[in-house]
Amino acid sequence: MFAPLAHHSEVFVKFVVGIVCVALINMGMAGAASAAIVDTAALVTSDRAADMGVVRTQLDRADVRAKMTEMGIDATAVDSRLASLSDRELHKLAVDMQNAPAGGDVVWIIGAVFIVLIILELTGVIDIFKKT
Amino acid sequence: MEKRAAARAARFAFFAASLLLLTACVTREPFIPANLPAGAHRQVELAATPFFPQKKYQCGPAALAAVLGASDVGVTADELVPVVYLPARHGSLQVEMQAAPRKFGRLAYPLSRNLESVIAELNAGRPVLVLHNYGLPSWPRWHYAVVIGYDSASDEFILRSGKKRRTEWRARTFMVAWHNGGRWAMVVLRPGEIPASADPTLYLDAAAEFERTAKPEDSRLAFDAAIRRWPDQPVAWIGRGTAEYRAGRFANAARDYGAAVRLDPENAGARNNLAQSLLDLGCPAHAREQLAALKIDTLASPLREAVLDTHRHIDAAMSTSPVVDASKCSPQP
Repeated sequence: MFAPLAHHSEVFVKFVVGIVCVALINMGMAGAASAAIVDTAALVTSDRAADMGVVRTQLDRADVRAKMTEMGIDATAVDSRLASLSDRELHKLAVDMQNAPAGGDVVWIIGAVFIVLIILELTGVIDIFKKT
Repeated sequence: MEKRAAARAARFAFFAASLLLLTACVTREPFIPANLPAGAHRQVELAATPFFPQKKYQCGPAALAAVLGASDVGVTADELVPVVYLPARHGSLQVEMQAAPRKFGRLAYPLSRNLESVIAELNAGRPVLVLHNYGLPSWPRWHYAVVIGYDSASDEFILRSGKKRRTEWRARTFMVAWHNGGRWAMVVLRPGEIPASADPTLYLDAAAEFERTAKPEDSRLAFDAAIRRWPDQPVAWIGRGTAEYRAGRFANAARDYGAAVRLDPENAGARNNLAQSLLDLGCPAHAREQLAALKIDTLASPLREAVLDTHRHIDAAMSTSPVVDASKCSPQP
């Protein structure tokens, strides 16, 4: 009973090894091609000081992917959204996705708070633009 | 029931406020006249800006669809929901609002945090997407809206916001919401367009992020415009060089990277990319000269790995192929 199974599993192992080999070769080629020139984003002045490690970017990506899924975006949309983000943007999201400003709705009760603020501002009780 | 009571309270506050506004409007200085850039119109309204009334919490997709539409991208607010809306946050994040236009071959440029930049963009015919805070700095309630114009005489801004196609805002009211929201604003640019109020660092950062997913031809347009505006910025030349390289025009790439190296001889990325272009042109000896000028040990990762990699390719080429035509190895500016 086990003999044919053993034979099958041997074929299967060969098959898997074959796939892994092809994948590794492809990976190597992709790596070489992308290493040829350095992206401008990695060279802009503001980033030159920071060590934008490849490892950090991969961690950020995994982190943002998990958070986006958790926050109710379906898997296919997550991939497409991640694709348009730069390393720096990925990092921003990884750090601050929970608390960064999220523009949404204006409801009445909040509008009321804002109106009070505006009254204070317009009547000169406060002046948030005062130059100190 | 509770909701209705809240609405009634809010309406009362609104009427009280309106009364006060009427009595108070003469007491403060106007904003717009003091922030008009030289040569700006006294009055602008970009009436052709499309409008998408927002659905619950979805002012992000609605505002983005409007500024993309003004830049000739035909996309609806609904189509942008899966692109920028974050259900658990009941809103959209600035980072994603800024990244989304790249999907449509457009750059997002975040404006400098002053009113003059906003007015300058409106004068250049570009509606401005802004982030407002209608709460308090310590209790923020965020909202995206699109500024489509202003009137200097009445000191008012004209907005597309929420469910309102056209709404006029007293400049001071607008400023309170914008100021408390961190004065964040962005415009959408076609490749090759430079913002009226452009700052080289902000623009080149935006273009560099655009490059990763853009077609080489679009990327070339974006950096080409930067070179014309700021010919002494090495990053502008590097960006155009990379676009040329990706299009397979190695001689043009070497010319642009060469210009960047002349402007900034310490720029390891420019030298690495120049070396790689020279190698692709069949000039490994010239390529090696470029890398010889670098102190590889002092470079940060992953730039160091890229340079070491280029080194290996050059060594391999040196041992196999002799130089065929040395004349193309010294690209002229």
